[in-house]
Amino acid sequence: MTLYLSQVSAIVWKDLMLEFRTRERLAAMGAFAVLAGVLFNYSLDTARVAPQDVAAGLVWMTIVFGGLLGVGRTFHLEAQDGAMQGVLTSPAPKDAVYLGKTLANFALLFPVALLVLGVFTLFFGLDLGSSPGTLVLALALGALGFVALSTLFAAVSSETHMGETLLPILVFPLLVPMVIYGVGATGRILVGRPVEEVMGNVRMLAAFAVLALAVGAGLFRFVVED
Amino acid sequence: MNKIKKLVPGSLAVLLSAVSAPALAAQIPSAMAGQSLRPYWHVFIAYAIAITVVLGWVISIGRRMRQVEERLGE
Amino acid sequence: MSTKGMRRAGTGLAVVGLLGLMFVYWLSFFWVSTEANQGVAQRIFYVHVPAAWTAFLAFGLCALTSAMYLWLRDDRLDRAAVAAAEGGMVFGAIMLTTGPLWGRIAWGTYWTWEPRLTLTLLLWFIFLGYFMVRSSTENPEKGKRFAAVVAIVGALDIPFIHLSVLWFRSLHPQPVVVKPDGPTLPGDMLTTLLTSVAAFTVLFLGLFMLRYALEGLHRELDARARRVAA
Repeated sequence: MTLYLSQVSAIVWKDLMLEFRTRERLAAMGAFAVLAGVLFNYSLDTARVAPQDVAAGLVWMTIVFGGLLGVGRTFHLEAQDGAMQGVLTSPAPKDAVYLGKTLANFALLFPVALLVLGVFTLFFGLDLGSSPGTLVLALALGALGFVALSTLFAAVSSETHMGETLLPILVFPLLVPMVIYGVGATGRILVGRPVEEVMGNVRMLAAFAVLALAVGAGLFRFVVED
Repeated sequence: MNKIKKLVPGSLAVLLSAVSAPALAAQIPSAMAGQSLRPYWHVFIAYAIAITVVLGWVISIGRRMRQVEERLGE
Repeated sequence: MSTKGMRRAGTGLAVVGLLGLMFVYWLSFFWVSTEANQGVAQRIFYVHVPAAWTAFLAFGLCALTSAMYLWLRDDRLDRAAVAAAEGGMVFGAIMLTTGPLWGRIAWGTYWTWEPRLTLTLLLWFIFLGYFMVRSSTENPEKGKRFAAVVAIVGALDIPFIHLSVLWFRSLHPQPVVVKPDGPTLPGDMLTTLLTSVAAFTVLFLGLFMLRYALEGLHRELDARARRVAA
């Protein structure tokens, strides 16, 4: 077990180190978050729409679109120069590689999700409601499920002609539950509903994340085998 | 077998139009009595779509099969 | 079953299915009574519901054969998966076009986020992803594996999607949906519906077998081309 965990954490560490050297994906996702906020401000007629009514949906969709930008590049380095072979011939089992990649992506996306929340709170004057902690938890669980699915399909899309453009088509239909439960929870918290109303949604987000991780870990080996 | 495949779609389409047209036409007197014809159009289009799409798939399979058989015959 | 046997059986079933479909058309135009509340437009139900059922049957078949293909690596399972996926898109398209036609009359709007329509729409796009992934890899074997993964993940997510869409729907005021498919469906309507379901299913199975046979011929052609190239 400890060997497995150390393999996973080695991969997480490696990916994060590589990312921090260039900070490409982080910069892309972060810039996207802020700029999307700006565009959304101009796309909403605040005379007719109260921002807090739609903010939850905008936050989640921004995280999804921005997240795809970053996660789509997960296997970019491996696709070049045949580096994937090196990763695969390592003693780490395939699902450890998948979990490592997924957790690294989560470590990149979750701060971006918080950034999105912060930016939108600033731009739209949102009140974080009764329970910001639950809000953050919902974002974390949603981001985890999102990353679990998109990392699996990033491996698929990086081996196709279409590349990252295929990723939204593959992933969006599957994300419907995450969006429904995530926006449901977030929206309620932002308008000040009690936390108890929201816990059902949070549980579904957790279940979704767990299932996505399990399915991804199980199927990843079929995607990367020779 | 191929000949049957060619005849069936065409004859079915003709048959179905012949069948559905009088049925719908017979309903028109009641429609003229003040209701709109729109529901009838929707029903007609829906049933037409169903049979057209199905036959479209049949013809597509038939055409592809002929192409492959030709190339295998070479 | 040999390819020839598949073709014969498939053609037989398809012909029976088509004849059954014609019979259903006759039933729904001439025999079955008009529904009291919705009038004529309710008849669309007799093609809409069976098409939906067939689309989901096709998807289930595709997901199952995809999982078995990843496990057993028998090429025939992949052929079955492709054939089922194509059928699913065809019957799904029928469901998605007849639904709004019915909805416009019954509920006054072409599209409501009705759970079953929504689920079929998403399913259709999962199938689309299935075909796009299949055809966009350099190595066709990879394409088959990727497509199988898409089908399996889709199948596993469907219950979640269904639950979430139902929950969402329960919160939002929607046009009242008349449910003509409950156990209180009058006898003649039930008969027409069940006959239609049977006809669609037989038709799908026949065309599925023909499509499967076609895929077998494709593989034979590919194998021959590879042998010539070698």
